[in-house]
Amino acid sequence: MFMDGGRGLLDQETAKPKNLSDTFKRFAVYFHKYWFAVVMTFVLLFAGVWATVELPYVTEQAVDCYIVPNIQSCTYTTVPAEWTNPATAIEGEALGQRLAGVGTLTLVGVGLLVVNSVLVGIAFYTMRYAGQNVIRELQRALFHQIHRLSLGYYSRNEAGDIMSRVTNDIDTLQQTFGFALLQVLSSIISVVWIIIVMLQRNWQFALLSLSIVPVMLVTTFYFSSQARKAFRRARAEIGSVNANLQESIAGAREVQAFNREEETIAQFTTSNDANRAANVRAALYTSALSPVLEALGYVSLGIVVVVGGLGLLGQLPFIDKATLSIGLVIAFIQYSQRASQPIAQIALLWANVQSGIAGGERIFSLLDEKADVVDLPGAKVMPPIKGDISFEHVSAEYTPGEKVLNDVTFEAKAGQMIAFVGPTGAGKTTVINLIPRFYDVTEGAVKIDGIDVRSVTLDSLRRQIGIVLQDTYLFSTTVMENIRYGRLNATDEEVIAAARMVEAHPFIERLSEGYQTVLGERGGGLSQGQRQLIAIARVALMNPNILILDEATSSVDTRTERMIQAAFEKLLKGRTSFVIAHRLSTIRNADQVYLLKDGQIVEHGTHNELIAKQGAYYDLYMSQFKQQEEVTTVETVNAASLPALGD
Amino acid sequence: MQAAVSPGRGSARPVKAPRRSSPLVRAIGYLRNQRRSTIIALTALLIATIVQLLVPQLIQNMFIHIGEGYRADALLSIQPDFARQAALLLAGENVDNLVTTRNVASQLLVNSAVIVVVVAIFRGVFAFIQTYMAENTSQGLAFDFRNAIFTKISRLSFSYYDRNQTGQLMIRATSDVENLRLFIAQGLLGAVQAFLLLTLTLIILFVTNARLALVVVAILPLTFILFAVFGSLARPLFAEVQKRVSALNTILQENVAGIKVVRAFVREREESRRFYAAADGVYEQQLKLGRTFSVLFPTIFFIAQVGSILILGAASDPIMRGELTLGDYQSFSLYLTLLFIPLGQLGFIVSLLAQASASAERIFEILDAESDVKEKADAIELAEVAGDVTFRNVTFRYFNSGDAVLKNVSFSARAGQTIALLGSTGSGKTTVINLIPRFYDVSEGSITVDGHDIRDLTIDSLRGHIGIVLQETNLFSGTIRDNIAFGRPDASDEEVMEAAKAAAAHDFIMSFPEGYNTAVGERGSTLSGGQKQRIAIARALLLKPNILILDDSTSAVDFATESRIQKALDTLMKGRTSFVIAQRISTVRNADMIIVLDKGEVVATGTHEHLMEESAIYAEIFNSQLVGDAAPEKQEA
Repeated sequence: MFMDGGRGLLDQETAKPKNLSDTFKRFAVYFHKYWFAVVMTFVLLFAGVWATVELPYVTEQAVDCYIVPNIQSCTYTTVPAEWTNPATAIEGEALGQRLAGVGTLTLVGVGLLVVNSVLVGIAFYTMRYAGQNVIRELQRALFHQIHRLSLGYYSRNEAGDIMSRVTNDIDTLQQTFGFALLQVLSSIISVVWIIIVMLQRNWQFALLSLSIVPVMLVTTFYFSSQARKAFRRARAEIGSVNANLQESIAGAREVQAFNREEETIAQFTTSNDANRAANVRAALYTSALSPVLEALGYVSLGIVVVVGGLGLLGQLPFIDKATLSIGLVIAFIQYSQRASQPIAQIALLWANVQSGIAGGERIFSLLDEKADVVDLPGAKVMPPIKGDISFEHVSAEYTPGEKVLNDVTFEAKAGQMIAFVGPTGAGKTTVINLIPRFYDVTEGAVKIDGIDVRSVTLDSLRRQIGIVLQDTYLFSTTVMENIRYGRLNATDEEVIAAARMVEAHPFIERLSEGYQTVLGERGGGLSQGQRQLIAIARVALMNPNILILDEATSSVDTRTERMIQAAFEKLLKGRTSFVIAHRLSTIRNADQVYLLKDGQIVEHGTHNELIAKQGAYYDLYMSQFKQQEEVTTVETVNAASLPALGD
Repeated sequence: MQAAVSPGRGSARPVKAPRRSSPLVRAIGYLRNQRRSTIIALTALLIATIVQLLVPQLIQNMFIHIGEGYRADALLSIQPDFARQAALLLAGENVDNLVTTRNVASQLLVNSAVIVVVVAIFRGVFAFIQTYMAENTSQGLAFDFRNAIFTKISRLSFSYYDRNQTGQLMIRATSDVENLRLFIAQGLLGAVQAFLLLTLTLIILFVTNARLALVVVAILPLTFILFAVFGSLARPLFAEVQKRVSALNTILQENVAGIKVVRAFVREREESRRFYAAADGVYEQQLKLGRTFSVLFPTIFFIAQVGSILILGAASDPIMRGELTLGDYQSFSLYLTLLFIPLGQLGFIVSLLAQASASAERIFEILDAESDVKEKADAIELAEVAGDVTFRNVTFRYFNSGDAVLKNVSFSARAGQTIALLGSTGSGKTTVINLIPRFYDVSEGSITVDGHDIRDLTIDSLRGHIGIVLQETNLFSGTIRDNIAFGRPDASDEEVMEAAKAAAAHDFIMSFPEGYNTAVGERGSTLSGGQKQRIAIARALLLKPNILILDDSTSAVDFATESRIQKALDTLMKGRTSFVIAQRISTVRNADMIIVLDKGEVVATGTHEHLMEESAIYAEIFNSQLVGDAAPEKQEA
């Protein structure tokens, strides 16, 4: 079954479950619905194992009753005494009877095999049926949870981490429920049953025949755990090979621009070599596992035959000759073969079952993660937003005790454009994240048209707010569908109209397939500016009541930005908008500018008021021009800009 | 394509004409480098297989001894005495001889058992050598392939990266190589072993007893057919499961990575519907696979076992007639299990083979890829550069097809000048600067540096004179120092520090506890956008390049930082031929020449004063920034 010596199974990330009984209880809840399939699986497995355990007995009876008749050990039928005399030739009627007897038993054997195959086949399906249903329910629950979890969770955990946890753990469960668990169960049942049967038949012979089993168990567990350890080291190496590769492909432009090809190749070869060495070291154990098991299997075969043979000849003091027969020796050969195969399987698959349980544990812990931003009981539907927004003594923190915003109070009147400026980490993005309730405030309140955002449903609130984020996320589908994400029932014409409005149409048209161009991972293939334009078109199509732009035009050239602004001014007539920008051309038109620093509002007013005040904003603003002056000795700059600043 | 194009590049495609042998055969050819371990593995395989075939023979011997002893013992055990004597007489034996026979049989039985143990150990050792050396061989092969792929992709031109996503290239260097490795380690040797075992076992079976062997031979073709059916049924089912699982994961991926967008647009319900549908798809396919397997597995299991039972029925007649011993039967049924092992292996190998040949094809696709940008055989080493850069009627199309991204662009930059490129998003600014270090080659026209066509120069010497700060900063894992010294790993600490100071990066670097030895995470994730940018500037500055290219995007930084960066850039540009893509008007104003691009064409060139009078587009761009940057009154005007 495992022609690679189980290498594939050993080279898997394995983890030991921490809280076994809790996880079992959780799984039991999920499996409870499919109890019938689970019970069926067990019943079928037991019946199937019974059929195979009976097989050696059938062979034994064929030998002891007909081929080499033995009155004592033939229990299937009564053996005529004359058949037992080895000196008598077998012929005539006796031969016919004896051949017919063997024939019947052969058919019984085939019948038992058929029964076993059918039962195990059905058990395989019932197990899979229950398993797949549980997996599907877990998937749904996980997906639901992904949408419920607060954004805080996503900022604490990397997206890639969450993803790989979800997909890998589900994958492990898939293997466990689809195959490994059933194999382990049926192997355990077989081994235990066979050992019991052997002991019942002849305990002295059984103990000697089974003497190799503990050795097998110990070697298997030893080699597989050593191999796993070696593979864990190898995985770290392959991880560094992959990181190296990833980095060099992603940074290929820099590598070439700086003529660093030779060095990177040399570096890669080194880590590649380390990876090879680690894998070869791991192979030392995996390569040993199946030859050792096979050799032990042959040794056990030898032991059964020699012990059985000597016993038959009355040469062993502790085995009564009368309790043995040639048929029993042949049956024991089959028993011991049937017992040693499952032992290897249990050892190889056991870790997979463990990983499955550990995977389940991680899935449950993700499901248990508390979602803090949820509809409160009795949340109402947000009426159409007019656009008065107020922050009342708002504080917010991502990690308890570390305030990102501290007592922020401001008010925006309907139709105003509000700009937030300030250094990185001042809390600008946090402020705007609170408006659509991506996070909840820890103190104070955010109110829209006098209604606390926490008292309305998230759906009704967010549907009215259009937001373009700093890090534009595009889906790997067509440009058309990416824009349509803003309003799913929009027609193609409406999508194009939105793209035209935000000046995205000209470049989209020049893409190889126009609006039908499929974007790669994370919108790859487009420049940062182009990605931003698509994200802006998406919001334009949505036609929101409140618009939030978080550095949304940072990579768009100023002329296009002007045109976008003009378009939004028309679109959002009388609606409120919030802008985070570092570019002055964006900020200057704002009705109010708030300068944030360390989570607090330091200054606010219109651009001109703030300049006149000659405070922090003025300093920030001037710093650009001061240094420009140093480089620029052209008077026109002074003429064009400085007087305006002085106003 | 024009005449000046290097011969290597021009003739690259036609040369490909002669058909190469199949990718898998080519891949196997790489075993040349692993000759020693391959030969050891094959030798060990041969010995291990032959030794393995001895085991049933030895067991048979043991049964022969048991049979002899048993007969003697049975005769000696007959009660009462007169009956025993009659039987002895009938069989022509006497008591002494029988006792000796029984004792000799016991002794021989023990001896044979010892031989079995010795043979088992012997077989184990060689099986181990075989597996271990096969693993060694395949790891060596994978090592060679990964190196070859890496070397190749390090040298491919940018257009290759435009066409191929990082993820896809990664898969080729990792899972495709692994597939190939598995095939070499298990498939190739496994096939040799399977055929060897199959042939030898069949020969032994026929020699032992042709009649019984015929029973087995009758089952064989049936097994082959079943494995073929199994393969052809299971493969498309598996492929479909894989397809559906990856569709499901894509939705998951999008929802995790784009969670903010999903929430902002309140698309949870639609996304859930999409996900549920995909999950149902996986579920149904898994059950379908389950149904197929629940028929196929038991059938195969049945076939593999039924032989040993049927053999009992078929052997009983010759045994009772005395034509066959029980030992023969026992060894026969042991050989039978040896016969079914290779059959299972072959089924497995066929699936490995299909996978490996697809993987080999993908790997050779990379290894055979021709770089669009090639060095001429007689390329000149450019020792010194003054910095004159001239574009002559340059037209550029990506992949040499589709719409021209640049059309007929001509301009000339004197050494030491600052050239500003201006234009809207997608107008071709970045393309212009990508052509100078030959990240791409022009489709038509030419670019010269100090009068040399850049295609006549060695790529290393050309790029060695160019310092570049790209739009999206990419840092490498390692320390900050390593990153700054990326272009010149031999630079002294003083030089690195000097470059960092000039790039306004020294202060923030020193604010880290580890200073210049601070590790930069994967893709520089521990640094802010502005900090990364300044490190990239320091990196370019350290090269002391004569030509400087700044695809200046300060989008990621707040404006206090931006002004610091700006200052650093201005210092950097002094005395060098600089190409700047700038959003800032002050940089543009000071430029010696401003090139205004629109839809890939140069619509105006000249100094600021000149353009303000001559170019409507320039004036418009200038005003859009000026309005923002300086004069609110003008908005109303």
